[in-house]
Amino acid sequence: MTTLDALEASVAIGEYDSHWLAAHGIMLLASGTPLAARVALTNAMLLGDTRPTTVLNLALAEGASGEQARAKELLRELTGRLPDWDEPWIRLAEIQRRNGDHAGAIIYYGHALECDPLRPEALIGLAVLRLGAGDGAAAQLLLLRCLGAHPDRIEAWDALGLALMQTGDAAAAESAFDAARQGAPDNFEYALHRATAACLAERAEFELARLEAESLRDPLNATMPTARAVVLQKLGRRAEALDALEVAVALSPDAAVPALLLGEMLAQSPRGPDAIIALKHALALKPNDRRAANNLGAVLMRQHQHAEAARILRGVRTQHGDDPVCLCNLANATVLLGHQEEAVSIARQSIALAPDAVLPYRAMANVAPYHPDTRASELLGTLRAISDRLPREAPVFCNERDPARRLRLGLLSGSFRIHPVGWLTIAGLENLDPAAFDIHCFAQNASQDPIARRFRALATEWHDTDNLDDPMLARLARSLQIDVLIDLGGYGDSGRMPACARRLAPVQIKWVGMQSHSTGLAEMDWFITDRWETPADKRIFYSERLLQLTDGYVCYSPPPHAPDVAPAPALVNQYITFGCFNNLAKITPQVIAAWGEILTGVPKSRLILKTHQFSDAETQAMMASRFAAHGIDGNRIEFRGASPHREFLRQYGDVDIVLDPFPYTGGLTTCEALWMGVPTITLAGEIFAARHSCSHLSNVGLTDWITHDREEYIQLAIYHAADIAALQELRSGLRARVKASPLCDAPRFGRHLGIALRHAWTEWCDGS
Amino acid sequence: MNDPETLLAHASRLIGNGRTGAARPLLMAARTLVTDNPRVAELTALLNIREGQLMVARDMLDDDVAAWPMHTGLRKLRAELRFRTDDLPGALEDAADCVIQDSHDPTAKALLGMLLLEVGQAKDAVLCLGEAVRDAPRNPGFIKALATAQEALGDTSTAASTLQSGIQQAPGDGSLRSAAVLLAVRQRNFDEAVELATAARSAGIADACTFGLLGHALSSLGRHTEAADAYQEALKLGPDDPYVRHLVAASGVVASADRAPDDYIRTIFDGYAERFEDHLISLGYRIPGLVRSVLFQYRPGLKIGQSIGPVLDLGCGTGLVGVALSDLPLTDLIGVDLSARMLENAAQKRIYAQLHTEEAGSYLRREQRMFPLIVAADVLCYFGNINQILADMAARLSIGGIVIFTVEELLNDQMGKLWMLGRQGRFAHSPAYVRDCAIQTGLCIHEIRRETLRKEGGANVPGLLVILERSS
Repeated sequence: MTTLDALEASVAIGEYDSHWLAAHGIMLLASGTPLAARVALTNAMLLGDTRPTTVLNLALAEGASGEQARAKELLRELTGRLPDWDEPWIRLAEIQRRNGDHAGAIIYYGHALECDPLRPEALIGLAVLRLGAGDGAAAQLLLLRCLGAHPDRIEAWDALGLALMQTGDAAAAESAFDAARQGAPDNFEYALHRATAACLAERAEFELARLEAESLRDPLNATMPTARAVVLQKLGRRAEALDALEVAVALSPDAAVPALLLGEMLAQSPRGPDAIIALKHALALKPNDRRAANNLGAVLMRQHQHAEAARILRGVRTQHGDDPVCLCNLANATVLLGHQEEAVSIARQSIALAPDAVLPYRAMANVAPYHPDTRASELLGTLRAISDRLPREAPVFCNERDPARRLRLGLLSGSFRIHPVGWLTIAGLENLDPAAFDIHCFAQNASQDPIARRFRALATEWHDTDNLDDPMLARLARSLQIDVLIDLGGYGDSGRMPACARRLAPVQIKWVGMQSHSTGLAEMDWFITDRWETPADKRIFYSERLLQLTDGYVCYSPPPHAPDVAPAPALVNQYITFGCFNNLAKITPQVIAAWGEILTGVPKSRLILKTHQFSDAETQAMMASRFAAHGIDGNRIEFRGASPHREFLRQYGDVDIVLDPFPYTGGLTTCEALWMGVPTITLAGEIFAARHSCSHLSNVGLTDWITHDREEYIQLAIYHAADIAALQELRSGLRARVKASPLCDAPRFGRHLGIALRHAWTEWCDGS
Repeated sequence: MNDPETLLAHASRLIGNGRTGAARPLLMAARTLVTDNPRVAELTALLNIREGQLMVARDMLDDDVAAWPMHTGLRKLRAELRFRTDDLPGALEDAADCVIQDSHDPTAKALLGMLLLEVGQAKDAVLCLGEAVRDAPRNPGFIKALATAQEALGDTSTAASTLQSGIQQAPGDGSLRSAAVLLAVRQRNFDEAVELATAARSAGIADACTFGLLGHALSSLGRHTEAADAYQEALKLGPDDPYVRHLVAASGVVASADRAPDDYIRTIFDGYAERFEDHLISLGYRIPGLVRSVLFQYRPGLKIGQSIGPVLDLGCGTGLVGVALSDLPLTDLIGVDLSARMLENAAQKRIYAQLHTEEAGSYLRREQRMFPLIVAADVLCYFGNINQILADMAARLSIGGIVIFTVEELLNDQMGKLWMLGRQGRFAHSPAYVRDCAIQTGLCIHEIRRETLRKEGGANVPGLLVILERSS
């Protein structure tokens, strides 16, 4: 028998009187069981207890049980019976405040103050409402009145600090927060407010020293390192801020505030796996935190845990409703799971929710290139919509207009590391003539891997931009008199295209790094390309002038750890193994249908699909069912998940022919397959991303592996699959061929890139 | 409620990751929860060491070891610290105590072995390190130290076997592969070096050092095109490593710096010492004899016993020039070289009054004495720009004193270049540049003579023998 049952039974037999039940109900309410309290208090009233305290507590129990209307009814009844009692007015005000009816709350607080002009809850409640309305001065008066009578009300000191900050008196605010902290030294909010006030008062360094001294006195108190982190972050000292937050979390593992701050700060850093751990910890402590859940979804995506990211983001949507930021993340996660149609639809919903915002259009620009029906003109329209919404400046550049002088070349990216940007640009950049170019790297989330070190070795100057907002970044680049800026980030996760809209340099050029198509940006002057990527009939789909290189538009730097090329597996297997190691976002229903026909046309053949997303069993099952719909037996498809890069490359030893996805073709993936001796059959399309493989295959002289329509694609795959000896012959010489080709000829590429950059610069010098 | 053990575990992890700023407050917090705890003491000392506060750490450890004399963690840490602060006897004492206290601790044995190696007791070092490797057969650090000790004993084939079995035990460890390749390079067994490096590359664990050494070995075998490829790969993996950059520059892949980095010289010559003389002699190395004959030519009084005074032998290596001059009436012969192992070999000849393990320029700039004779035989080939080093030599040359130095000659087919880095990692200089630099010293040029320095790959290596004198 439950407590409630026992109570009801005892009431039925008249075992307890109404006063006992009322007392018991109040106790249950205080112990956090409002439903049980509600029963006991209702029964007390049924037995005739109509004392004001019983009615008030029943109202509170009703409110806590979600019965707001009943609670208000009871409270109004009390105000009618006892108009001079302030308590029901206070409770009514708080209900209105929670419901967002601030005007109603103000009226009720007013009634409470008529009963007791110094009632602290009413003064504080009113002050907080004034504060929310931006009337810090009025809030201060109320709070000073409250504190005059009740100096021990620490929340009033905190609110006073906030009000003083609002009116610009940060120094006085510090004193108010100090008073609050004296009363509640373990309160994180007060400590953070104090630190923020110190920063506003331009006393950040002093605050750091003060917090350090306080920590020495009380080393177990986690509020001090948490507050230090906030100050350090404001000073741009992110590594130290992270250290301080880790200390705070270690000291107070059950506190949500430092855990949330740590998760958020790590999410902005390259420490993705740590960010996931921290955000999960934070969410365990505060499960309803929407921002933390959204951040977790975004970080999971960056760490290629797309299925979990999508699950979490869908959960945010269900729990909190639609908001543009969450929808943008969800659109990206959805496309990465191979649901292009749904992703575009979510991006559209995000645009509908915030049509004037940039982010939803960025999400659309990220997902639309994967969709089979996206036309280049439509994509350009989306990209121009982003450009239209970006804030811009009109700087005047005084760079010396000398076409022949040594140029200061800026490289802007969040991907100076092991990343397609690194593999496809570093060798070419290393081979730019140092006498002609002085290189400055503007790096977001810089890392320390071997390619990152190559960029550092290349750069005359290195500028970390994590703590610079767009105007600051633009000012920095301009102060350094960058002549030519190459963007290597686009509208990607850490891309700084909005800064480019403000103009960092007189000549701005888009190159690798979310280079799925034109940028649409009015301030992007040039776009590095080649004759295969942008043939004459495709040039109208670009907002930039095209800077066409002599060979391919990239230079591949093969990894030193690549295994040797293995013999064609078909020699042993006696059947053909097709493969695709591309991102699942590129695999559309149309691609699956074409692959189904190829597998049907090549008896006994198999297909290996390998990408991060297939580490998730649910995603594998979803994809298997898509093939089954085309009559392809599950045992002809092999799914492989993520692996370290060398192992990833080694697994090309299991593949005879790569089938390129479309419309978004392989970029680096195609280069890697070629390096591992495996040719790719591609279908060249309309947008830039639809022609990457076409460029790379042409650059190594494999134009006979390029097709231009679906039927040709299917027939060419079947044709090549029929000649195992020819496949082996091609494979055995492919690495040497690629190495000798312009795709890997870095000195040649460097020369051509230098000429192209000089051309762009000369045009500016000539006033173009 | 905070748990001190958890706090200490956090602090230890953070110190291990080099994040001492985060570890310090946690240690402070732990100290409020537990007092008189050797683990707290150990981590605090470690923290100070990692932050470079060696003296603070030393004082703390002295107190801590006195308080917990049986705690081997504290003693091991103090041994490491004493070693770093040049207190080798103290370090040895601590390491030996650790082994006595816990005879099953392989780290203690390895530490003792490494310290014994430092004090030249290679035989005992081999015993200790051998036990450490037996107890912890997959520890690459122990294996490499054992191989180094075996190499120091002259037992290079055992050293190679040690590294090979280490590679079998820990096939994914790149440092062991590199150590094996380096050993083969030092033994000038370039075919084996190429084989080892290629195996590492095939296994996918070659690092910048492995590729650099592969290039070096290939270059030494005359396979220059393959060497250039290897250097390219080395540069991809270690673009900021001066050793790699020097090798890559030597292959002509990138522009070179104006001198070889000290680490490069140490790496190549440490351990090569044992075979250095045999190798040079086998190459028809003529410089010591040339120096001696030049000296007789310009200081004929030496033949009748007139003392010349103290002689400075820069880049003395194993002391070949010293041997050539040792029967002459010199007051002191002072040798300077970057390679400690080379100097050990020189010391065994008992002909040098002083030996300094130091970069030549650095020595010249701190030395106060003046010398009537400075010899720099086969050392300026590790400098591209020789202006500064010649000026440093001139500054320490007494009035009437002479400088004798050699360089490899940059031949006419490199017209226009003042100096160039060759594929073997050495610089060659044009006669005109050498003359210009000599003029800039203000010294009188007696002679810039063409000489064959030695043979390389069967061909003569052309050089210049230069004699300068301070007339006033």
